[in-house]
Amino acid sequence: MRAGLAVIALACAASLPAFSQANAKKGAAYNPPRLADGHPDLNGIWEVRAKVDADLEGKINGKNIIVEPADGKIPYKPEALAQKKDNAVKRATADPLNKCWMPGVPRLMYVPYPFQIVQSANQPVMPILSQYVHVIRNINMGGEHLDGLDLWLGDTRAHWEGDALVTDVADFNDQTWFDAAGNYHSGDLKVAERFTRTAPDTITYEATMTDPKVLSKPFKIRVPLTLHTEKNFQIMEYECFAVKEGPTFTVGDKPDPQHGR
Amino acid sequence: MRHRKTYMKMLQVKTTLTILAILSPLSFGQGGGRGQGGGRGPVNPLLNGNPYVSPQEIKGGPIPRLPDGKPDLQGAWLQRTIGNSMSMYSIEKTSGHPKTQIPATAGIIVDPPDGQIPYTPEARKKQIDLGENHMVEESDAHCFMGGVPHSMFTPFGMRIVQPPNYVVFTWEFMHSYRIVPLDGRPHVDPTVHLWEGDSRGKWEGDTLVIDVTNQVGRTWLDQSANIHSDAIHVVERLTPIDSNNLKYEATIDDPKLYTRPWTVQFSYSRILDPKFEHLEFACIEGEVDMGKH
Repeated sequence: MRAGLAVIALACAASLPAFSQANAKKGAAYNPPRLADGHPDLNGIWEVRAKVDADLEGKINGKNIIVEPADGKIPYKPEALAQKKDNAVKRATADPLNKCWMPGVPRLMYVPYPFQIVQSANQPVMPILSQYVHVIRNINMGGEHLDGLDLWLGDTRAHWEGDALVTDVADFNDQTWFDAAGNYHSGDLKVAERFTRTAPDTITYEATMTDPKVLSKPFKIRVPLTLHTEKNFQIMEYECFAVKEGPTFTVGDKPDPQHGR
Repeated sequence: MRHRKTYMKMLQVKTTLTILAILSPLSFGQGGGRGQGGGRGPVNPLLNGNPYVSPQEIKGGPIPRLPDGKPDLQGAWLQRTIGNSMSMYSIEKTSGHPKTQIPATAGIIVDPPDGQIPYTPEARKKQIDLGENHMVEESDAHCFMGGVPHSMFTPFGMRIVQPPNYVVFTWEFMHSYRIVPLDGRPHVDPTVHLWEGDSRGKWEGDTLVIDVTNQVGRTWLDQSANIHSDAIHVVERLTPIDSNNLKYEATIDDPKLYTRPWTVQFSYSRILDPKFEHLEFACIEGEVDMGKH
């Protein structure tokens, strides 16, 4: 069925060169619902429904999560690979998620928790509200990066390119990881993302990571985000409290002797 | 991280230094002032250096409206109270507590008229004990969300966004948020307890009425250890007065701890600086101190 549609798309592209080729190139055959300002409506509760956070160097349905470079691997500088391997060994205590910390970007978008995109026409901010430890990621529409700050989620500046929401994220700290496998970055990380509604229940999420301190060249991931369509579905809460006990963290709800739950 | 430090500094100031130190704007210095548009835009006249002090009132124009005619409440807001009553310290009217170093405040309780929560005697005893001897149990200190109505008067500003079928509140403080569906869906099952509770909204004329249930019993209403149980039921009424001002009222009932429902009231001033943005509030990240308690 999908192959059949592709053939039809190709046939159209051949017969209507200017219009259809542009569409085929963008993969923008789907015309999304729109808000009053004409931009695609990204509102909804979304979640990655594939195993991505475990290891970015893995696959979804047989395809590499990392689409560039072609080998599907993160192009670490030789001297940076040792740190990744060390992180992997120590991940039980070193993974920021095992300490309830903010996951950083792009990781927030594919940790296995739902998030709600809160978009309203002509607003300066499009908050993304994650169920993971009530993290708020503010997508600032326009404006300039902040000076002299380093942030767990970085500073996001976004604009629309056609029907794609395009971001430029900078001002990161060096404390977050890309995944649970210990893949990591430095504070020089920059992330460029594209959110594109490609089907009624799908946002195709793409992110390109640049980090000259750790990477020999940029790499790009492509991950489908799936819309929750269950009746009355809502974001619940994942509160997380980590207690440091000696060298390790105990994660869980802190008992409360004073007034119970 | 700076926010966290500023807030912890406030807690520290509150518990270890004098009341004079708290009230002096100098004790907040740069820390409190940094909420002003990330320091990039012009200073907002509504933002004080001290986030515990109310902004001034500035009259606005007609109530903005969405295409469907409902009030457009979107934008950034700060709590405003009569006489800078500093609700974070105490929502009750108080002449100050020498032992807990909570300063004198007018409070925000308008019913009962004495400005006091109508606790049962046992609940009042517990509240006094928590405030004097167990401040470490304060939910904010553990980076938990504040619950309702506490979250509605946390410092550093509140943002409202109205996507179709929802009203959404976000705060810089503790990166708390509330998502209020307007589609008439029922509350979640009573066995579910949430730090920010379960909110359901509807419009009554120009007033947004929000029914809040399913809260945990572990959040405090302020830093004076004013408490509620998991039976708390809150009905909020948010009404635009003009383009710059909102009126907030909440009636709070909890048959486990109070003898009757009671009501708080305050206002919000719009943050007029168009460059104002919420920054990041890191709390649990790197925190090791609270694990010791």
